[in-house]
Amino acid sequence: MDQLLWFGWFRADIIVEYAVLFWRGLQMTILVTLICIVQGTVLGLAIGMARLADARHAPARQLCHYALRWPATVYVSFFRGTPLFVQILLIHFALLPLFINPADGLLISGETARNLKQNYGAFMSGVAALTLNAGAYISEIFRAGIQSIDRGQTEASRSLGLSFARTMYHIVLPQAFRRMLPPLGNNAISLLKDSSLISAIGLAELAYAARTVAGAYSRYWEPYLAISLMYWVLTLALAYAIKKLEARYGRGDSR
Amino acid sequence: MNLLSKIATSIGIFTLAVGSLHAQNRELVVGSSATYRPFAYENPSKEIVGYDVDIIKAVAQKSGLQIKIVNTPWTGIFAALNNGDVDLVISGVTINDKRKQSYDFTMPYFEARQLIAVQKDSPVKALKDLAGKKIGVVTGSTGDDTASREFGKTNPDIRRFESTPVVISELVNSGVDAAIGDNGVIAFRAQEHKQLKTVNDPSFPKEFFGIVVKQGNKALLDKLNAGLTAVKADGSYAQIYKKWFQAEAPVLPAQ
Repeated sequence: MDQLLWFGWFRADIIVEYAVLFWRGLQMTILVTLICIVQGTVLGLAIGMARLADARHAPARQLCHYALRWPATVYVSFFRGTPLFVQILLIHFALLPLFINPADGLLISGETARNLKQNYGAFMSGVAALTLNAGAYISEIFRAGIQSIDRGQTEASRSLGLSFARTMYHIVLPQAFRRMLPPLGNNAISLLKDSSLISAIGLAELAYAARTVAGAYSRYWEPYLAISLMYWVLTLALAYAIKKLEARYGRGDSR
Repeated sequence: MNLLSKIATSIGIFTLAVGSLHAQNRELVVGSSATYRPFAYENPSKEIVGYDVDIIKAVAQKSGLQIKIVNTPWTGIFAALNNGDVDLVISGVTINDKRKQSYDFTMPYFEARQLIAVQKDSPVKALKDLAGKKIGVVTGSTGDDTASREFGKTNPDIRRFESTPVVISELVNSGVDAAIGDNGVIAFRAQEHKQLKTVNDPSFPKEFFGIVVKQGNKALLDKLNAGLTAVKADGSYAQIYKKWFQAEAPVLPAQ
């Protein structure tokens, strides 16, 4: 292919040459981000609730403390206190082979394990690591959101005879969710950007495409500038979606 | 000429003299990616050792150069050379036409070939048997080039990683079916993991490693070549080769 120079120095041809890799990479980045946002939010809600669990009387009180609050706190502490990159490597090279391994996997072994690892190994590890990590951060957002709602709301609801679950579902969470949207949006954006770390275990997403081109041509401006632009467009789109959501859920406030 | 301009001139000459003296005695920074045992790797006391390191030390001694070896990640090693972070690179770099367009190489200091590593029970006999299988390579390495040429550079079956140890971990964990890389490194790693074996495809061409300098840095290139010639002539090349590969050193071409 002939050299295609933009502005006299930007070799667009090397991006065109690897266009398929960038296109598939873009799709993979979006897919991983969406899955992790959904799973991370569900996990974050569960962990956040566990961290707030409490009961008034003896056996249930201890149960909440040792079986829910304590493990949830340790979980959050670990996933916030260790680098995401290390978590990805740990899960991919140590944890996953323990469970899914052709030779002696605890969960899946044999030919199925081989196929699974080869086709989805990096994807599974990457999504798992990113979800677990995001879950820890999001649980804190939920906890803060729920705690920010005045106790009086719960007390009023309970005295009207609503159960704890219905109080949460109808009274507390809808109000808390509105306050949680901005930090949740921040989290979604960092999730999108952090997905680039998964390229280290060979998942063909955007950063991987750039690294491949950089490796093949020893040129760094073109591939990294190209993906920077793509990431930027993606985060702008995400920010726009969050703004819309905030407007939608904030309607009650703008009287 | 008045006094002032005399002073100015003498200061100018003095600075020039000091400057050139400085340039001559300046410690040269050698970039090497220390994930390439037995060519370059970190020993437990954090020193970078290996065949490449011994060669460059011998060369430096012969041509009176001061050197400092810096561990530089492979994927950024040519960028480091371009922007002046390192003055030369010795990191098992194969001399090829594409790289010659952008960098200058010394005469060869090692004869290499590509080698395939697979699991012991694999039926693979040659490169073409890898069609449709997942292949692990180091980004931008000669193994990457070989696989890209044979199976297409945007083929999703080619999995690219940062370093050889990661590629080998993937192979051991069945994340890929095969790994392609320089024979010295692949043979060493295969011997480390008893579930692996190597496959030698006779169609792989003979290759040579060279020391890399920035394009046009003829002064340094000449010194390195002179040093290499001396190292080959006095038998230290053969001695270093034997130390790391337990075999007689092959005769290398002068170009």
